[in-house]
Amino acid sequence: MSDAALAVRGLTVHFRVRRGLVGSRVVRAVDGVDLALGPGETLGVAGESGSGKSTIARSLVHLTRPNGGTITLGETDVTSLRGAALRRYRRRMQMVYQDPYDSLDPRMTVRDAIGEALAVRGLSRDRRPGEVARLLSRVNLPDALAARYPGQLSGGQRQRVSIARALAVEPDVIICDEAVAALDVSIRAQVLNLLKDIQRDTGVAYLFISHDLSTLRFVADRVAIMYVGRVVEHGPSLELFAEPLHPYTRALIAAVPSVTARGTKRLHLAGEPPDPANPPTGCPFHPRCPEAIDECRRVRPELTVVGPGRSVACHVAVRSFRSPRSAAEPSR
Amino acid sequence: MISIPESEAAAVVGVGETAALAEPRLWRRALRSLAHDPVALLSVLFILLLVVVALFAPWIAPHNPLEQFPNGLSDVGAPVAPGARFWLGTDQAGRDVLSRLIYGARVSLLVGVVATGLASAIGVVVGTVAGYAGGIVDSVLMRVTDTVLSFPILLFCIALIAVTGPSTRNVVLVIAFAYWTYLARVVRSQVLSLKEREFVNAARTLGVRHATIVRRHVLPHLWPTIIVYGTLGIATSILIEASLSFLGIGVPLPQASWGEMISEGQQYFQTAPWLLVAPGVALILTVLAFNLAGDWLTDLMDPAEREGGR
Amino acid sequence: MNHQSRRAETTPIPTDVDARRDPVVELDDLSVAFGSGSDEVEVVRGVSLRIERGQRVGLVGESGSGKSVTARAIMQLLPAPGRVSSGRVLIEGAVASPRGARRWRGTTVAMITQDPLSSLNPLVRIGAQMTEMLRHHRGLSRAQARAQALELLEAVGIPDPPRTFRQFPSVLSGGMRQRVALAIAISCRPRLLIADEPTTALDVTIQAQVLDLLEAMSAESESAVLLISHDLGVVANFCDTIVVMYAGRVVETGTTDQILDETAHPYTLALLASVPSMGGDLPERLASIPGSPPAPGVVTPGCPFAPRCPIAQDRCSREAPALVGPPGRSVACHAFGDASWPRPVSVGGAP
Repeated sequence: MSDAALAVRGLTVHFRVRRGLVGSRVVRAVDGVDLALGPGETLGVAGESGSGKSTIARSLVHLTRPNGGTITLGETDVTSLRGAALRRYRRRMQMVYQDPYDSLDPRMTVRDAIGEALAVRGLSRDRRPGEVARLLSRVNLPDALAARYPGQLSGGQRQRVSIARALAVEPDVIICDEAVAALDVSIRAQVLNLLKDIQRDTGVAYLFISHDLSTLRFVADRVAIMYVGRVVEHGPSLELFAEPLHPYTRALIAAVPSVTARGTKRLHLAGEPPDPANPPTGCPFHPRCPEAIDECRRVRPELTVVGPGRSVACHVAVRSFRSPRSAAEPSR
Repeated sequence: MISIPESEAAAVVGVGETAALAEPRLWRRALRSLAHDPVALLSVLFILLLVVVALFAPWIAPHNPLEQFPNGLSDVGAPVAPGARFWLGTDQAGRDVLSRLIYGARVSLLVGVVATGLASAIGVVVGTVAGYAGGIVDSVLMRVTDTVLSFPILLFCIALIAVTGPSTRNVVLVIAFAYWTYLARVVRSQVLSLKEREFVNAARTLGVRHATIVRRHVLPHLWPTIIVYGTLGIATSILIEASLSFLGIGVPLPQASWGEMISEGQQYFQTAPWLLVAPGVALILTVLAFNLAGDWLTDLMDPAEREGGR
Repeated sequence: MNHQSRRAETTPIPTDVDARRDPVVELDDLSVAFGSGSDEVEVVRGVSLRIERGQRVGLVGESGSGKSVTARAIMQLLPAPGRVSSGRVLIEGAVASPRGARRWRGTTVAMITQDPLSSLNPLVRIGAQMTEMLRHHRGLSRAQARAQALELLEAVGIPDPPRTFRQFPSVLSGGMRQRVALAIAISCRPRLLIADEPTTALDVTIQAQVLDLLEAMSAESESAVLLISHDLGVVANFCDTIVVMYAGRVVETGTTDQILDETAHPYTLALLASVPSMGGDLPERLASIPGSPPAPGVVTPGCPFAPRCPIAQDRCSREAPALVGPPGRSVACHAFGDASWPRPVSVGGAP
């Protein structure tokens, strides 16, 4: 485990939600999630709203305190760090946020925003302008932008500045929480290419959180699919998308509107994700699942390894793997 | 019913962005909006005039405000009506009303500005600490604020002055002590929402210290609020000061103050109405000007707060 | 070609030019500007568009392309200080104006937006909002309106219509709200339903449900649909005609097949290429369009896409191309139909 940039074990985040005048309920936003990320690797986390993917991001950067589990960065357990010790570790894990209009202080110039990060890194004042220029060119922005305020930049430019700010502290891991979701398609492609280039050059690892499967397929080495606070399927990106095992993953893929598969009528998932404060018994997906069997209503399936790097939390899928025919060679 | 959808909001924001590019300075925007808003322009001009008058009172006032002129009283000892020598007439002691009015502006503005400044300082500190720290600190500070806030301000001031004794300094302290709560509450709620903004989270994630985050990312965003509430606060403070002086527990005699002049003037309203009308009109216009200027600033500052985001 | 026959069953579209039906909505060289004088910014420039009965038109473009402003101009709901600066909007042949909009807004032309909360009154129960609409526009009695509203809620797949009928909009999920908005929009059987990014805020599985529903409802009420989206995938699966906008202008129109299979405008090509695909080999880099769209109101003498275009020639930056082509198929590009125009090597990655 020592070669992992980031290891998350049994991460659990509960929120207390007030219900009515008296009483409250516990929402298990994240419920025992394991994730591992090697240096220079990209792990994609996919799921719909309420799946807990953004809560994972926020607890990893200590914006939300987890109720259980451990977060290991390199060889240090950072889960319960506080104060100065936490500050020292913060810069090793950075985040690029979804909303390019809110993630930069509107009253600070680009130079000051990046400079703030450089100050955290301990760079002396006289060396900062050069470094700001270097970082801006790293994210393909002209040096002239340094004097501008975020209000004078386009969405794509702001997101590049956010990336530059994250890079300024030389982190091991950058969490991209829907980092390209708010951008126009043509700009999105530019930023995705940029993120890939940066990874190739610096060896930074990405935890890439997105609801957009085609983006994840392009950017991620491995992908974890989440549903109501848990990982339901995990595997190498191309394999997982070519041959999804969990019925939910299949439904997600089928729902992606694609120009190539236009006109082909596909079965769409009925119903909505359950209320995380009141999840169904057994497998949380069973009320929407076209393949649910009796066991699914009673027993919650655990994430089970079914092949090299692949695991799935589904009674039906695991069973078909255990049966001799399909276990021998999962056919394409 | 209508809201600009996301995709095109960018287009519309874009329009604003080009404008922001052309004139990023608040001053320019302020002047431009004044040109289109005669009411605000008049208010601002009146306030400027008041400031000039207060600052240069000794040079502007035609007479010494305390001097009792022998010819300031009629043969029967009644105040002299407005005329060539005393433009706004004299009072029951034979003093020049205009000069007293001008010196009274000094008192009003001094009390208004100093009290509001003090109140703002306390309010911003309490509100920021409560909002940013949260938890038990927030609860305690807000309970204190609520308690002070639930006192009826004027009665509260009267009670405090009764204990501390009337003096200009005490009037300022008492008004500041009553008024800081308003700003504390507004600032706290602003800080609470600022704390959730992603750029504050981003600074935290970088490992920036809390004190630095507050100084760099929170306080600068509070300026519009402070300016707006400060302007409105000056109006309120001037009113409270006048009320206290009216009741005889404000600025001590014989110093001229509008509240005291109104108090004296009402006794002679039948025979010498100018004694009541002059300070009354001055007070109304001043408070009105500060309130209107405050409204204008609210409109002016609001888009400034939104310029970066949505 | 399979899907075309499927479409033909649900919404017959006469291809014969002479037999074309009267358009529900027609835009005639429409321009929309914000501000005035030296501050004037034109965000829609000379858009002509014809939507016939039962037609499904997709309007595609990035932010700032003017697609949503065009929709609002049709509805005569331009946010201030926006105004139609030239051209006109015809609703069933009559020139539309904000004053007369009461007669057709909500009945002949209805609209749903990205955020249904903005069109639903947060303080009024769903049922009251629906029955008010039905009683006002269709003259139903209280009981009839209630029955009709419940029926509509059921039709849009609300699991417990009587319960939702009593609820306030804020307690519903995004998908449920959009269903309610759709039910209200469709309740007066509009001739045209404008759907402005109706699924952008929704999760993919819910998006698929809402699009299915939109398809079924519009087919049933024989409404034409103007679907506005930044997502070519969404539009390609739903519409029979696609209009591509860039920097306030229409740059390409055609049937869905023409746009996707015989893509003519370099911008459309690049747009198609920049979406990562869900199948096939993985490219090392995505084909991306360099630069960013011009700021709204920036007027250049030439083609607005020229600075980003891989096949731009001198002529493109000097002279704006006109929208040319046979009826129903038009392209605003100097290279269109010009066999001698230099072709790029790399732009061809359309899936």
